Amino acid sequence: MAELAKNAADILVIPAEEKLTPPWKEALKSFYKNKLAVVGLGIVLFFIVIAIIAPLVAPYGFKEQVLADRMQAPSSKHWFGTDDFGRDIFSRILYGARISLWVGFFSVLGSVVVGTLLGIVAGYYGRWVDAIISRVFDVMLAFPSILLAIAVVSILGPSLRNALIAIAVINIPNFGRLVRSKVLSVKQEEYIMAARAIGMKDSRILLRHILPNSISPVIVQATLAIATAIIEAAALGFLGLGAQPPEPEWGKMLADSKNYITQAPWTLFFPGVAIMLTVLGFNLMGDGLRDVLDPKMKQ
Amino acid sequence: MINKKALGGKKTLMSKKSIKLLLIFLLALSMFLAGCGGKTTKETGGKKEPATSGGSAKDTLVYGRGGDSTSLDPITTTEGEAFKVTENIFETLLEYGEQDTTLHPGLAKEWKVSDDGLTYTFKLQEGVKFHDGTDFNADAVVFNFDRWMNGNEDKFPYYTMFGGYKADEGHVIKEVKAVDPYTVEFVLKRPQAPFLKNLAMSPFGIASPTAVKKFGDDFRKNPVGTGPFKFVEWKQNDTITLEKNPDYWQKGLPKLNKVVFRVIPENTARLNALANGEIDVMDGLNNSDEATVKGNDKLQVIERPSMNVGYLGLTTTRKPFDNKLVRQAINHAVNKKDIIKAFYGGKALAAKNPMPPSIEGYNDSIKDYDYDLEKAKALLKEAGYEKGFEIDLWAMPVARPYMPEAQKVAEVIQADLAKINVKAKIQSVDWATYLQKATKGEFDMFMLGWTGDNGDPDNFLYTLLDKDSIGSNNYSQYSNDELHDVLIAAQTETEQAKRNELYKKAQEIIHDDAPWVPLVHSTPLLAAAKDVADYLPHPTGSEALTKVYFK
Repeated sequence: MAELAKNAADILVIPAEEKLTPPWKEALKSFYKNKLAVVGLGIVLFFIVIAIIAPLVAPYGFKEQVLADRMQAPSSKHWFGTDDFGRDIFSRILYGARISLWVGFFSVLGSVVVGTLLGIVAGYYGRWVDAIISRVFDVMLAFPSILLAIAVVSILGPSLRNALIAIAVINIPNFGRLVRSKVLSVKQEEYIMAARAIGMKDSRILLRHILPNSISPVIVQATLAIATAIIEAAALGFLGLGAQPPEPEWGKMLADSKNYITQAPWTLFFPGVAIMLTVLGFNLMGDGLRDVLDPKMKQ
Repeated sequence: MINKKALGGKKTLMSKKSIKLLLIFLLALSMFLAGCGGKTTKETGGKKEPATSGGSAKDTLVYGRGGDSTSLDPITTTEGEAFKVTENIFETLLEYGEQDTTLHPGLAKEWKVSDDGLTYTFKLQEGVKFHDGTDFNADAVVFNFDRWMNGNEDKFPYYTMFGGYKADEGHVIKEVKAVDPYTVEFVLKRPQAPFLKNLAMSPFGIASPTAVKKFGDDFRKNPVGTGPFKFVEWKQNDTITLEKNPDYWQKGLPKLNKVVFRVIPENTARLNALANGEIDVMDGLNNSDEATVKGNDKLQVIERPSMNVGYLGLTTTRKPFDNKLVRQAINHAVNKKDIIKAFYGGKALAAKNPMPPSIEGYNDSIKDYDYDLEKAKALLKEAGYEKGFEIDLWAMPVARPYMPEAQKVAEVIQADLAKINVKAKIQSVDWATYLQKATKGEFDMFMLGWTGDNGDPDNFLYTLLDKDSIGSNNYSQYSNDELHDVLIAAQTETEQAKRNELYKKAQEIIHDDAPWVPLVHSTPLLAAAKDVADYLPHPTGSEALTKVYFK
């Protein structure tokens, strides 16, 4: 409690300087104050770097089988050991970062774009448009998300790309609802009324005024959703509905090696840790962003 | 996957960073311990619970297996999981030896063959009753054969063993007649060398005519035979329960009171169930788990005598496998030795022919396509596929005796093929659909295999690769008239030495045409609880549990 009070005091002191610093700098500053968020950002950046430089640093190819060296324990030759095909797990984890981040980022991007569009339309126009869109969201949210993802994949056929699409689809209503509720409140602001009063076109109001003012919770939600998406991709991979062999997707790696849990635990341990760390990174970062971007949370 | 409540829950913790840090630390610690824990349980696992089973005399055997039966009317299928059960419910006129394919009396106690090889006379066991109480007699035998020969490939696929159906020219049986209540006579149109061996095959179990008429198409779910066990209940994809037939004609048998066939798809999960005492016998033991079973003093490993072939089929009616050069190229590109070392624990023979060497007529002078990527590439170039191509590679979803880990083997083949620019996408589908699609020739390239039914080369070469068998077991849709003539000549020839020569010739033709990549002849492994006695696995892949008992 004492800490909170101190924070409040800080906030009260600041306003004099605030006029000079642009809001994004202010946000950045308070983000850096949150040590956990910085750790999260660090983890995320670490995995992004790994994903980019994977081909340069990976000692072996991700599909390079050496059956003579199968299921070797971690050693200086194979840092994370080898799997049941004699593939180097370290290299596969590095390449796997590409897949997980790719799926995480683009599936969320997809659902953000579609969800925001639908949410804005529903929130701004209201009435039957809102009713239809909102009911569709309700129906989608009524399904457990992984079940819906499985359904989508089984319609499209199992592959990494279709898993990405499935994850994007199941997350649309989350963003749609978020944006819609934000639009509903922004719509009532005086500057919107003013814009309307001077005869501005709907499309311009939506894009120039409502969208920028509704987007900050979306950014927070998106960061957190990437974490969820990575787990969902791993789950689909584990079920054989996502990445197809020999793609080094972490969930698929877990599924492939689960039979060897007693003989070769490292085949499960490292992909598991990789999934855990990336998800943790995005979650911490997301929480930090929320503190910064959502003023209500500060109280 | 992650639930929103968990995320929401974190909000309240946000300010309390120390709690969060602690949680993270605990999570990391538990992951670490879980990782290390694996090794320690491996060492102690065997001795963990030695006192779970035992106690009063056990007479219910639970048999764990990878897939459910597709039917319990054995003539309606060619699939091994069905026979594992029906062997116990139905009996055939002749039976094989306990662990070989020599012929012994079954429902027929003696038989006579005419000099021209065209008339077979069988004396039947007297006083045998079907499970529904009706009598087993010559009329029942005639009824069964009439039923089968009036069917077609969809209904009774295995009946092609007799050259086709009633209207077909190739059909060898001219007539089946009851001479007296316990004598049956078969008259053939042409001699068929493996005729007696065929009769002993599991699909030709004699069913109760009354029950067949009563149940019609549902007989496949309500089997009634003369065997040591009676059918009780079938829960699809879960269990099939059989109970002792108290009126079994062989006195003192069976020794078990009840048999339950339980489906546990994952080989490792099945092994866990065995170690926990949930099941008593399991088939489809991974070779990599053999050491685990041997290290557990509650369990035993049982080896099935080998009589099978696991192969990679190339559908010869589909591009690019309609081109012989491409098929040969694939043969050069697959590294069988590595596959055997990795996924058969070294306990399999690399296959070069479509039949195993334990069977008479095996052509050992054939030189296998060696693993040589340059040759493979050269052949592809010659065929006009220099840049390679993309295909689907289908792998069985279930463990088969000839291939306990098909998906893994498929991944190795995928990597092999990538080296000659052939991009293979691994696909799978449930077992029943898999076989259906394979029958129709809908796969480019597929993993499959065959366990011999009667120990005759005919049962491999004719059954799997003759043009007559397209639509039943010739999944690669391979049709070759020259081969057909040789195989039919071998069927008709009754002198064994001449037959062997013909089969050797047939293997040369097949080798050159390469409709398959023959992969392995495996020694399938089973595991059982130590107290299971007299479990004698049969090379055909299914055996009646008549004499099994608990020590």
